[in-house]
Amino acid sequence: MIGKEQRNRAKEIAKKYGYLPYMIERYVALWGEQEAIQFLEACEQPIKRAIRLNTLRAPVEETLSRLTAKGVRLEKVPWLDTGYIADFTRISPGSLLEHMRGFYYVQGVPSMTVAEALRPQPDSLVVDMAAAPGGKTTHMAQMMNNSGVIVSIEQDRLRTASLESNIHRCGVTNSIVLRGDSRKLDQLGLAPDYILLDAPCSGEGLIALDPSRKRSKSMADIRFCATKQDALLDAAITALAPGGTLVYSTCSIAPEENEFVIDDLLKRRPETKVVPINIEFGVPAYPAPYGVELHESLTLARRFLPHKHNVEGFFICRIEKEESS
Amino acid sequence: MKPEYVDSVQWDIVRNQIDSDYGAGVTKRILGALTPVSLPRAKGISFYLVPTGWLKILDRDFKQFTPLSLGMWLGDLVEGLFRLSLPALERVQEHTSNLLIVSRRGAESFTYGRSILKESVVKIAPSLLRGQRVFILNETNECLGLAALSVDAYKIGRLAKDRLVAKNLVDIGWYIRRLS
Repeated sequence: MIGKEQRNRAKEIAKKYGYLPYMIERYVALWGEQEAIQFLEACEQPIKRAIRLNTLRAPVEETLSRLTAKGVRLEKVPWLDTGYIADFTRISPGSLLEHMRGFYYVQGVPSMTVAEALRPQPDSLVVDMAAAPGGKTTHMAQMMNNSGVIVSIEQDRLRTASLESNIHRCGVTNSIVLRGDSRKLDQLGLAPDYILLDAPCSGEGLIALDPSRKRSKSMADIRFCATKQDALLDAAITALAPGGTLVYSTCSIAPEENEFVIDDLLKRRPETKVVPINIEFGVPAYPAPYGVELHESLTLARRFLPHKHNVEGFFICRIEKEESS
Repeated sequence: MKPEYVDSVQWDIVRNQIDSDYGAGVTKRILGALTPVSLPRAKGISFYLVPTGWLKILDRDFKQFTPLSLGMWLGDLVEGLFRLSLPALERVQEHTSNLLIVSRRGAESFTYGRSILKESVVKIAPSLLRGQRVFILNETNECLGLAALSVDAYKIGRLAKDRLVAKNLVDIGWYIRRLS
């Protein structure tokens, strides 16, 4: 419980930055006031645009050379093979021929990192459980060099249009696009080697991109998302092949949609364990958010934080299912 | 709705149209080791090319999931007319001589959905005839889409610079326009 004084201080900060007070109370409880203010300040700053070069369409060197010749300034993201911070100056990134031909995909650094954390092997069976608009499906397809199969599922009818469009534009030929509710994944009778679950979430990591998020979601919305995330994770673990790998991610900084959800999963499904992600990025996830002790292996999951990494807030966790399960 | 093995009568229509539009044997060459499958739509049928190893997946019951696309989208058959898809254009382009190379300005305009005017034409085979499908390429031979010639190629030289030469059927700007 927080005292009246702290609550009033949270209200003051919330008013100054335009947030709902409950959000500030949580940030202060999670990080302390000083870091919470750093977070709020970071969310006032623009996020640098990033692109992923699509090797299904052209070698990295060719795309780099073509974009550089058009005045695009590119800086490689250290832990990503094909990820670049891109300054298009006054050019619209969607208007270039190279974009229409699928040579690159405009995508946030954390989103690219999610697929990199899973890194499905060629010829494997992969399920992308919330696939639109297709950034991660197309990224995995290039990692697999269009071999194997990616089953890309999306429930939203309108968003499936963008998913299909991006799949075709990027030259992906190893995907099967399905519309449906991924919570019923077991009905398909697949036993995927890899599952990517970039779960629908409250979007609390995207405030810098969408300032309306400062006031648009209540705590009940976050709880609603967490309930859906639990169900999606259960469906994923049930379907996953023994020894298979799942990456769970959200674009939320809320522990209620991340660490707490994974902690519950570990209790509910003893055949699962959190395993290290073999690339260096972000900071470890929190084993004791708000002072609540959770499973210690949660430090193997990673977080991107706007005030530490100048990108969208994200949570990424790699989970394995026991071989003998 | 689930993917089906192609109906031989429908596949004959598709093969005949591709071969007559772009050259004999083109369908066989783009097919390679892939297998054609079809998905019924509200209007017509979509055709896809998939590896034969996928057939065991496609045979299953998708229950409450609706398949929307799979493998490489070849095109759609609507009321007896087959239209090649954008992803299939590049594959077919490699096997045909129905090519129209356009200037930089013409290329840009084409990717915004416009048709090709005489002033944009850089090169075209003189044997192509009015009504034929032609692939529109930029000056570095990148495929930008498909158009229908509105005049015999050998007559283009006689046209005024603002006259229509080829009507845009589909272009790669569609990927972007579709989402806006």
